[in-house]
Parts: sequence; structure tokens; C-alpha cells
Amino acid sequence: MYKRLPRVRRRWQLGLGAAAALLAAAGLQFFDANPATSQSLFLTAYSAGSDPGLDPADGVWKNAVPVQVPLTAQAGTYAAGGGSIPTVSAKALHYQGKLYVRVEWADTTKDESTTKVENFSDAVAVEFPAKSAASVPALCMGQADAGVNIWQWRADSQAGIKDPVDVYAGALVDMYPTKDTLFYTARAAGNPYANPDQGPVQTLVSQTFGTLTIANVQDVRGQGAWNNGNWAVVFTRSYAGADPSQAAFADGATTDMAFAVWNGSEGDRNGRKSVSAFVRLTISGTDLGAGGGDNTLAIALAVALLGGTVVIGAGLAISGYREKAAR
Amino acid sequence: MPPVYNWQLGRQMDYRYPNGGAQRQFAAVFNTNRCIACQTCTMACKSTWTFSPGQELMWWNNVETKPYGGFPRHWDVKILDLQEKANPGAQVWNATKKDPKTAPYGTFEGKTIFETADGVNQVVTGYIPTEDEWKGPNLHEDTATAFSKNGVSLPEHSGWFFYLQRICNHCTYPACLAACPRNAIYKRPEDGIVLIDQNRCRGYRKCTEACPYKKSMYRPSTRTSEKCIGCYPRVEGTDPLTEGLPMETRCMTACIGKIRLQGLVQVGADGQWLEDRQNPLYYLVHVAKVALPLYPQFGTQPNVYYIPPRWVPRDYLRQMFGPGVDDAIAAYTAPSRETLAVLQLFRATQQIVFSYKVEPGPKSGEVKVGNQVRELFNDTVVGFDSKNREIVRVSVDEPVYERPAKVTMNTI
Repeated sequence: MYKRLPRVRRRWQLGLGAAAALLAAAGLQFFDANPATSQSLFLTAYSAGSDPGLDPADGVWKNAVPVQVPLTAQAGTYAAGGGSIPTVSAKALHYQGKLYVRVEWADTTKDESTTKVENFSDAVAVEFPAKSAASVPALCMGQADAGVNIWQWRADSQAGIKDPVDVYAGALVDMYPTKDTLFYTARAAGNPYANPDQGPVQTLVSQTFGTLTIANVQDVRGQGAWNNGNWAVVFTRSYAGADPSQAAFADGATTDMAFAVWNGSEGDRNGRKSVSAFVRLTISGTDLGAGGGDNTLAIALAVALLGGTVVIGAGLAISGYREKAAR
Repeated sequence: MPPVYNWQLGRQMDYRYPNGGAQRQFAAVFNTNRCIACQTCTMACKSTWTFSPGQELMWWNNVETKPYGGFPRHWDVKILDLQEKANPGAQVWNATKKDPKTAPYGTFEGKTIFETADGVNQVVTGYIPTEDEWKGPNLHEDTATAFSKNGVSLPEHSGWFFYLQRICNHCTYPACLAACPRNAIYKRPEDGIVLIDQNRCRGYRKCTEACPYKKSMYRPSTRTSEKCIGCYPRVEGTDPLTEGLPMETRCMTACIGKIRLQGLVQVGADGQWLEDRQNPLYYLVHVAKVALPLYPQFGTQPNVYYIPPRWVPRDYLRQMFGPGVDDAIAAYTAPSRETLAVLQLFRATQQIVFSYKVEPGPKSGEVKVGNQVRELFNDTVVGFDSKNREIVRVSVDEPVYERPAKVTMNTI
């Protein structure tokens, strides 16, 4: 058993400890460093003043507040590796009944060709509970009573699916008896993933691992751009989901949202990826004014509050010590 | 992972799924001794299934020259190397732990590709051959290990090569199927043919990575993987030529060297072949034991069986076909009357032979094998279809016809 310290000294220590912790927290917040991010992240989609469109560089995004969403290796139904992308910067807006989500992450390699068997594409996906979900779905592909709706953007899809002879300028082929779609087997089988006209984004639904299926209605649009080692991708869709298996949104509503990033040069595909936990997404009725979404004021307020608390705490501690000493 | 029984390894092993419950299994025997690598099989397959954009590097059927050739390049050496590194020095057979039914070749005491995988990054140990490795499918064609100045003689040639004919093995425990996270690969209960659902595939190439025989191939023009489909419309019997009866695949029927015989064997719930004594494949594999699986130690229980080449060093063959090699070569070098008769069924008909019978014939000659003089008999083998109707009749001695002295036009 250790000897109990006198009450006075413990109070001193408490006061100092609290002050140090608060200062450290304020410092971390100020420098935008976050050693242990909270399990619950909140992202708010404010109403945009103008249509953000699909261009990730559109000016309207400048005022939206990003949430840094940490990613880890995929360890869901069975571990499948990945985890090379540590974080994404996510923003959300809405405009005239449409939700816009902008995801940005650092990736030094732009992997947008899957012509070679050994090459994989960069990609990003956002996941929402299905409209019909009775409970919060399992993060990994949902569950029977709570499906998920996944929007996936792929760099190779955006670059376009090409025949190898169109990629390799010097390729020599005797002849193709036919180039009929029938003989592009997966296309003929109706696999949208093999369809060159599909566009860069697919919306998919799933009700547990291994059941991921393309949604009947493809109504999500998106576009990505790679600049200086960063991908930025914008997704957009109308609030109303085409059917109960898809996500639905509304002004003032709150839903869950998760992120996944695939790093092609790391061999990421399917479950091999970097994934986040669910983030709370609020669709706010508030307008995103010029600077309205800037968090400088919020940080200044927080620092002032923290500083005040530190002063009060220290003051109390000192006064407590004095009281004791006076007795 | 549920344990399944792999009779080729003589033991239980781990597999991702319980036994699939196929009732019949696509199976074939290839006689490597007879192949001349004319690639007629290769072109029959190519011109039937893989002639379209994106399939340029795809050869569902290929014939490669061993030991140096390989499509994709060095596929087998690479897998063997991965396995050896995962379980150093312990990839060994115990050829004495034998049972005629459950462990005919002995017991494999090493690890299969399912058992060496870490389960995180890979469900099955494997690798993706690069695009370059799929090019030059017949590199090292006819390249022998050495030039034998003084000629060669049996039992082992000093300089050697042989041809290895390869299609998808339609394995009982397919590695491609186990590796697919999309459940896009399935094994058909009616014939055990393994297929990739082209509607579900999303081109993850897990199957390309997992298949030790590298018979799942990526197609960039659709971003999906494709593989040998065992010519299933023919095996189903939907070709009008055979009036609804099962027919052998394109690569089999095109074989001018008569090295191939393909059929359907009956399989029990535990994945083992049911006794079917008069099925020619059952006879060659389980009774005569003259045909052996390719790299059984990978653990997928492949269903194409090879009669090993007689002139190749046995160590090499044991690595490739397991410890049954010596018995198989002995059974082929001095075949029994029945084996000799069944070998005549190779390429005698396009229809699948479900059973056969041998009608004894008179002695037709003698042949010296080693130091032994063996008698030859002109027996006749009769093949029957799935409805037990006679479809083919071949004698051991090839009939000889004498042309008339005066040759007329169009006389062969």
C-alpha cells in the first residue's frame, strides 16, 4: 500500500494536470493534429449557394468544413488487408434536393489503367444505410435487415474501358472474326461493370458480405481529379433513392456514412482497401455563406473557453491550497 | 475452414467450403507420351472461345514444353517456390502410408496452397502473373535439357523434354472458387465444371492469383476474368450432332495425336470417385493407375490425369505427378491386355464413353519389353454411351487394307 498524499498536494496536482491536458488539447486543435480521433465523427452538409456540379475544384467547396476521417485496414467479415491510405478529407453540401459529397485523399500514384492483369485502379466509395434499413447496418456490406447503398467511383472507369489493341499502338492482330458485343462475354451477360458506357460511378446495394450487386437504377453521378498527389472526387445524387435498397436523404435529416479508398498500386481491390467507421452525416438547413463554414471563429472560441477553464481551475487549486495553509 | 477429403493426397485438408456435392465430374486423361505439340487442340479452343478483343493473351488450352516452357512463364516453378518458402523442407510425401482406395499414391505430409495462405492477404497461396508473363505462350518450345551426343536410351534420356497439355482441371476443390470474394465462381453439380459468372465478376483477379495452374485469365476489355468452360454446351449434349448425348470438348475431339480421352465420372458426397469399374477414366485412374494428377500437392484435386512420359528423370516426374509415377510408367510400358484395349478408345469417337467392355481376340504377336517377351492379343474394345448403347468398337491391331495394284483416281 502506498502512503496517501496530503489533500492539499493532490489538489495542486489535479489542477496542474487539468491545465496541462487542456493546453495540450487546445494546441492539438489549433495545429489541426489529432492523435486519437473520436469514434463519433460528425459531418454536416450545409446548403450550397450555387450548384457545386461535379468539379472537385469548384469554388463552392472552399467554404465547406472538412472532416478528417481516419481509415484502417479492412478487418470485417474476414480480414483482407489494405490500409495504405490513412485518412480522407470529406466534405458535404446540398443544393436543390441533391446531396453532394466531396472526398479528397493523398495518393502519390495515379492508377487509372487496368489493361495489364497486374494493375489495379484507384477508387473511392461512400456507403449509406439503405432506405429500408431497420437498424444501423454492419459496416462491411450490411446485413439482412439493414442493407447498405454504396457509391463507388473508379479511376479506370473514368479513364474508360479500352481494348488492348487500342492501348498498345504497335499491337499486331491478324484479325478479329467479329467485334460483336456478344463476344465481350461479360457485357453480353449484362454485367454493368464491363460496360464501357457505365461512367465512372456505380451505385451498388448489399445485404451482407458476398452479396454486393449493382443497383437497378444508376442515378449517382461523380467525377474525380488527380492533382499533385491528391485525388479529389465529387459524388452527387438526388435525395430520393430509386428504391428501398438505396439511401434516402432529406433536409434536416441525419444518417450514417462511411468511406473506403482503394490504392491501385498497392494491389487494392475488393475487401483489400482502407475503410472508415461510420460518420454521422447531418443535412443542415443552414446556408453555407461566404466564410460561414469557416471554423476559425469556432476554434478561437474554443481556445478562449479552454483558456478560461484553465485559469479557473488553476485559481481554484491555488485558493484551495491557500485555504488549507491558512488553517 | 471445414475439413474435406482429398484422395490424391491421402488425407483430409482445409478448404473454404464443405464439399460441393457434385454428382458427376468432368475428367480427362492425357497421354503425354503420344503428344507431338501440333497445337491443334490449342487452336480448336482459340477459334471456338477466345478470338475477340481482350482475349489476345488468353489460351484456355495450351501445350508447353517441359521443363523450361510454361504458360504463363514459369507458373509451376513459381508456385512450387512459394510453397517451399512457406513450408521449407517439409513439402514431402510419405509414399508408404498408402491405401488402395483412400490414399493410392501415399500421403502428402506437406501443406497445400490452402494451408500455407495467411488468410488475410490471401485465402490461397498464389501470385498474379504479369502481362509480360502471359506473352510468348510457347517460349522454350522443343528446348531439351542437354544435347545427347551419343543418343538416348530408356529408362531416362540424358537430354530430354516433353510436352505438357493443359486445360482447366475443373478441380474438386477449386482454388479460384475459394478465393473469389464475390461468390462469382461456381462448380456445377451435374458435371463438376467450374465457371465464372460473367455477370457477377468484378475483375478482382483473386482467382487469377489463386489458381495454381493459372487457368483463370484476366480480360481487360471487359475487366473480368474468364476461364476454360469445359465446352459445357457439348458436355451437356446440346450439340445437334450427338442428338442430346454428352460430347467431348473441342480440344479433346480435335486431337490428331489421339492423346486425349474425356468423360464424366460419378462422384460421391465426400468428393471421391464412386466405383465405376467399366468407365474408361475410372479404369485408367483408379484400377490401372496409369494416369496421374498434375501437381496433386497443390491440394485442389485436379481432374485432368496424365500418363507420364516414360523417358523423363523420375525425380522431375515425381515432383510433377506425385509418388505414383514409377507404378504408372511400369503400367504403361508393359500394359495389361485391358489397359491396351482401353487406350484404343482415345479419340475413337466424339461422344463421351460412359462404359466399355473388352472382347478377347486371338494372339497377334509378341513384343520384347526390357528383358521380357510379352504376348499381344487382338482384343476389341467396345464403348457405350450414357444410355448404354454401343457407340464405338476398336481393335488393338489396326486393320490393314491392301490397295488394288491399279490405283484409280481419288483412291487413298
